[in-house]
Amino acid sequence: MDFFLSKKIVEYACLCGVLSPLTKLYFCRHCLNLRCAFCCHHEVDSHFCSNCLENIPSSEAKLRKNKCNTCFDCPSCQATLSARATSIQVPMSTKGEGGDETDEGSASNKMVTKKMYYLACLACRWTSRDVGISDQTSQTCSWPEQEYFHSTRFQLLSEHFQAVVLCDKEEKQDYLRRKTVKTSKFPSMTDRTGLTVASIRRQIGFDKSAPKAKPKPTNITPSIATSEVEDLPDEIFTKPVNLKNITTIKQRLAQPANQPETVKHLYPQHKNLSIKRSLRCRHCEHNVIKPEYNPSSIKYRIQLFASNHVPEVRFVKADPFKIGESASIILKIINPTINDMTITIMDLPTEDEEKMAIEEMRKTFDKSVSIATKSSLTPSIMRPSLIEDPRMVDCKITGKIELPDSSFVVNQRDDSAEFDDDIQGDRQDPRFIIWRKANKVEIKLNVIPCDGLKKDDDIITGFTMQFTYSNVHTSTPEKESQGLRHALNVRVYINPGKISE
Amino acid sequence: MPIFETVFQEKPAIVLEIGSVYTKIGFCGEAHPRFIISTEIRSISDILKKSYISLYDQTAAFFTKIFFKYLLASPKDRKVSIVESVLTPTVIRECIAKVLFYHFEVSSVLFLPTHLVATATLAVENAVVVDLGFKETIVIPVYSGVQVLSAWQAQPLGSEAVHDKIKAELILNGVKEEILTDAVIEDIKVRTCFVTKQSRALSFKSKEEIQPCPDLEYPVDGNDVIKVPGQLREVAFEVLFPKDNDRLGLPYIILDAILNCPVDTRKVLAENILLIGGTASALGMTARLKAELTKLIESDYYKNRLFIQEVKFHSAPSKPNFTAWLGGSIYSSTELITSSSFTVTRENYLKNSKIPDWVNYESAFVRTQG
Repeated sequence: MDFFLSKKIVEYACLCGVLSPLTKLYFCRHCLNLRCAFCCHHEVDSHFCSNCLENIPSSEAKLRKNKCNTCFDCPSCQATLSARATSIQVPMSTKGEGGDETDEGSASNKMVTKKMYYLACLACRWTSRDVGISDQTSQTCSWPEQEYFHSTRFQLLSEHFQAVVLCDKEEKQDYLRRKTVKTSKFPSMTDRTGLTVASIRRQIGFDKSAPKAKPKPTNITPSIATSEVEDLPDEIFTKPVNLKNITTIKQRLAQPANQPETVKHLYPQHKNLSIKRSLRCRHCEHNVIKPEYNPSSIKYRIQLFASNHVPEVRFVKADPFKIGESASIILKIINPTINDMTITIMDLPTEDEEKMAIEEMRKTFDKSVSIATKSSLTPSIMRPSLIEDPRMVDCKITGKIELPDSSFVVNQRDDSAEFDDDIQGDRQDPRFIIWRKANKVEIKLNVIPCDGLKKDDDIITGFTMQFTYSNVHTSTPEKESQGLRHALNVRVYINPGKISE
Repeated sequence: MPIFETVFQEKPAIVLEIGSVYTKIGFCGEAHPRFIISTEIRSISDILKKSYISLYDQTAAFFTKIFFKYLLASPKDRKVSIVESVLTPTVIRECIAKVLFYHFEVSSVLFLPTHLVATATLAVENAVVVDLGFKETIVIPVYSGVQVLSAWQAQPLGSEAVHDKIKAELILNGVKEEILTDAVIEDIKVRTCFVTKQSRALSFKSKEEIQPCPDLEYPVDGNDVIKVPGQLREVAFEVLFPKDNDRLGLPYIILDAILNCPVDTRKVLAENILLIGGTASALGMTARLKAELTKLIESDYYKNRLFIQEVKFHSAPSKPNFTAWLGGSIYSSTELITSSSFTVTRENYLKNSKIPDWVNYESAFVRTQG
């Protein structure tokens, strides 16, 4: 298979101009175009913990700072910690056991085994006991949280600056209010008579109630610089270092808040959540990929993988390439849909044609954006997505394909056909078709290497493949019994090998 | 109004500080970044030689990772603040803006200058901010909450220089070059090296016989052992304090920056020095800088120009490597994120496709007029 071990032999050009193997492409059935991960819009669908597979609603995930409450990561090697149980002997307390009431004398002598838990890393043998966290009575109970030393100071700073900015804003508005010239045509009586709001208030006897106090920024004690700085400890010059006690940079950065320097201060870290992502086509705002909510399910609610809709081209074999001589390559074309496909192989667009197509795309897009931006009342959700700027395909053709003279049909996919005997259709196949079975067709094409190639240069060839696609899922009212048939184009680039001579 | 504000509370803005080695990522209004990850857009100058598209793709891929693997937040219609040095090339800022608006469709982007926002973590208005980064050290004084841009100083004195020194020394000692990967050297630097005292540095310099700190055996991959000599552990950071007539060492550029400021601000600035950046967390860095600065202000060269008696250092409520991020977090939690003239909104960007620059406020003006 062409994508085996991700060797890029057959690649498809997405509408945005990025090349990728068919397995990494999507097919938007509303715009009937290829889409890739680069030109789709990614969205966070649901949060879950990859260890306990618990689905966590996004509001809760936000509260928990995208961390799982129950799972922890090893601070030493970043693997997942597991809770281990030990049993210890404790004197039975009469208070705790409400159910059975024994007399106190015997209870004090009685020992019960109690299960206690601690966290251990199965990868590097780090345990929560190493740093002096006492064992807990239940697996999921609250492990002591590490406090961040500077959080109160940060709170003060944050509040202070919020107040400062608000105050600033207020002053600016005040200033603007005073500055603006009155637009009224009629002279204000109070202006003439020198009666101001303040003086009227005083006359009426409201003078005590002063105008609303302006918001003042909270006072904050600024940091005080000192000339006393922490000196190097003297023993650093004499005492040999034990590397085992000093944390590595990776361990430090895994705890960004405290960044412990010694292993004594390593602390189990709440496991970071993972997400399921959905992809959305930027042109029509429809989803192309939407996973199921359940974290343990690997299924999709919407899955528009290109490999289910677009004929797959596989490279089978090629004759050795020689400079100036045409060589034949054999390609296998597979129809993944349940309708017969008529496939025509055509030339790739020339550079100018490609540029024109890109211009066209930009224009149609600009129009839709300008309509949306003109009315400033359009709410943000109604705004069309911006498309990625389409680009030229970054691939230089070094081998020209001799186009076959006619189009051909690839049969529909039929899972039961696998078990049938080989039934040769009575179809009159053109000469370039050398093999046909079920929904697969092998074709033989000639490739002429371009001039100016040297030995060991890569041959890259390509063609535009036009195929008929029956949109059976269409939801438009003109739906007919067979659905709509479209002729779609995809650009395929093949790297069949190097020049041998 | 307050009722509505709480009901329709906006999604918190995303704050990013993209360093040349580590990127600090998190949300505004939080006291520390959520993650510190390695920057995956390396050697931007090399990429630019290839093509702009390549830089765009790499930035997009890196941001995809940040949003969907680490922050787990859909960037669409979110506000993003980028903390960056004022010396960042325009190409990069524009690329970041383009990626964020076109690829991720964020609602607004606010670029914040590293040195200015770092002072917010102290609640002071005057400070000399020394950003000791990986590639270079940039000194910009901030006075009355304004960056004194004319006084900026920058030198390629950072962790990279220290790494090169360690690597060269170890190779001289007969360590195979292939085991000395960047990660190994960084680890050796972080775990074993420190900035030694001034007196000892002078002794090493003059080849005096003093007892260096103990040697160390650093195991690599379970096969090899690198012998790190004690002297290297002490002098690795000496590359930041070169003793020559160029006067381009770390203490020199700090004093030069102060010297470039108006006379009546110099005393205040010298008494408010803030060290930020990952290299500043090296053991003994502040102490050594203090000793060097104190000695320098007594020297003939500065004595008659700078009339400073002493230098003082601030310590921010954070680790030095994310102080600037913290400043960004504080700034972004205020209303500035919507009202600042540096905020580029989506609508404005689509109209002008321009972002305001520190030297070119053009699009900022367009915004206020329109």
